Amino acid sequence: MENGGYVGEVEPAGKKPIAELRGVTKRFGEVLAASDLNLSIAEGEFLSFLGPSGCGKTTALRMLAGFETPTEGDVLLDGKVVNTLEAHHRPVNMVFQQYALFPHMTVAQNIGYGLRQIRPRIPKAEISERVSKALDVVQLAGFEDRKIWEMSGGQQQRVALARAIINEPKLLLLDEPMAALDRKLRKEMQIELQDLQRQLGITFVLVTHDQEEALSMSDRICIMRDGRIVQIGSPQELYDRPNSRYVADFVGTSNFFNGKLQRSTDGLSEVLLDNGMRIQGMPGDGLVDGQEVCVSVRPEQMKLRRQGKGLEVEVHNRIFLGEHTEYLVTHETLGDFLVLAPRQADLSEGAFAVRDKALVSWETSAALILDRN
Amino acid sequence: MRLYAICVYLFLYIPIGVIALFSFNAGRHASQLQGFSTKWYGKALSNPFVMDALETSLVVAFCSALFASVFGTMAAVALQGIRGPVRATFDLLIYVAVMIPGIVIGIATLIGLVTVFDQLNPLIAAIWPDGFKPPKLRMGIGSLIAAHTMFLMALVVIIVRARLAGMDRALTEASSDLYATPMGTFRQVTLPMIFPAILAGFLLSFTFSFDDFIIAFFVAGSETTLPIYVFSSIRRGVTPEINAIGTMVMGVSLLLLITAQLLLQRGGKKSR
Repeated sequence: MENGGYVGEVEPAGKKPIAELRGVTKRFGEVLAASDLNLSIAEGEFLSFLGPSGCGKTTALRMLAGFETPTEGDVLLDGKVVNTLEAHHRPVNMVFQQYALFPHMTVAQNIGYGLRQIRPRIPKAEISERVSKALDVVQLAGFEDRKIWEMSGGQQQRVALARAIINEPKLLLLDEPMAALDRKLRKEMQIELQDLQRQLGITFVLVTHDQEEALSMSDRICIMRDGRIVQIGSPQELYDRPNSRYVADFVGTSNFFNGKLQRSTDGLSEVLLDNGMRIQGMPGDGLVDGQEVCVSVRPEQMKLRRQGKGLEVEVHNRIFLGEHTEYLVTHETLGDFLVLAPRQADLSEGAFAVRDKALVSWETSAALILDRN
Repeated sequence: MRLYAICVYLFLYIPIGVIALFSFNAGRHASQLQGFSTKWYGKALSNPFVMDALETSLVVAFCSALFASVFGTMAAVALQGIRGPVRATFDLLIYVAVMIPGIVIGIATLIGLVTVFDQLNPLIAAIWPDGFKPPKLRMGIGSLIAAHTMFLMALVVIIVRARLAGMDRALTEASSDLYATPMGTFRQVTLPMIFPAILAGFLLSFTFSFDDFIIAFFVAGSETTLPIYVFSSIRRGVTPEINAIGTMVMGVSLLLLITAQLLLQRGGKKSR
């Protein structure tokens, strides 16, 4: 965080941490892949690393798996520092992006691979029994003797999942597991994955660049940018109380108006917008008077009316989305922004047409004053 | 352009075709066809000198291909694990080793081995218990195998490296993520996946060693390999027997080369 502000609950309240990152930094030569990561993952929670590619989320995951060693700081599993503990000694399993199933083995051989490595050896009968159970869990019963290349993408993903969960890991790491699936299948797998997590009680750590995926599945999301953690919180917290423009923009959509923070009174501040207008809003943490800020208002918090008070705008475009209608409106000096009107409003007020004049307003509490970065 | 290509192919393959054709010649002259016969094949196969040379060639080819495959694979796997200038240097050296003319390898190996033998022989004699005749290191089947292993190793390294590079790194990571030790990963994942390439390397090495004349000529000592036998008997004139031997060698070589090629193709497809 450039402003040294509030990042969110680094530690989940009241639960035993199963894994921790303490001031973890990772450099690849000159490249800073992860910088001063502090995070504690609670037993049984579903945590997501969310961010664009190159933000360090995969590096964080790989340090938990044991494929990378932190340059600085400590990685802890179950309270023990494991910085240099090799991957094959860690009670952690991973579902790889392209699944990384062994092409020369059958489905059953793939799934039983982890159990076969354990010494003293587990009896063959027990392994095959547990493989069948794991296949049941991922709804692939009876597929034991299939070849990997005979399976569809969705089935391969289930095999990869079964191969990981059969070992009952302390931590299941998922590296963009849905990236290779089509949209419909992805939705199904998201629900299945959540069910599975509740059913097994295993701690899941997911890496994704898909905000929808992170929002729908996670207990907590850790938003990353340029190797740093920007904000940690539940999906609702991140949506309702983003700590920066970056988070507000990344989690959901929002309208932003740039300006300078003028004067902070208790709980309410005034922003002098670049066009000379003054707006009141809720200030975020760590902001100082005179700072360059932006005011964020979610499209669904805005109301579009024909009479009363509000910003005068012209409807530029409208998209009917069923439950909602999305209006793109233009203000003379503020430019374009989005308004999301519920179906109910359209029915009672009458829908607006393109080129219609309208008035836009919102509650002061819906206007969040955020760091510009 | 097409005519040119046809000419090139004719130029390449007519002599080979002629050799194959004349090996079935009933007459004893190499220049005129006198009906079909396989008697020269029988003659070649019943010639004790030919069979001796063949045995030497097979032993040398098998041993050097085996050693080259084992050491070449080890080197390839090790090279895959390192990065940067060290790896680039070794890569360059390996390509040089493949491209270097056989005659240079032959002379270099000869000089190298002779020098080492000259140093070692007195040493061995000195530490050998009295009353027994100390063994004497000299040129022979051992030096043949050593020389062939050296230059074939580079070939195996290149073939196996190509396969390793095409292998998804996530596979070995997945294996270690699933508790396999580095050795376990090599045995259960890496080796099965690169095995077609190793086998192809073995077959190619076998063929190259079996066909090699130049290097063998320098380091064979008193041993005679099949190419050396053919060379020495050609000085007494080309007989249909030589043609028969040539045709057999070519047939076996072609078979091995095609098998190797198929292995590489199929293996390549499977890993995708």
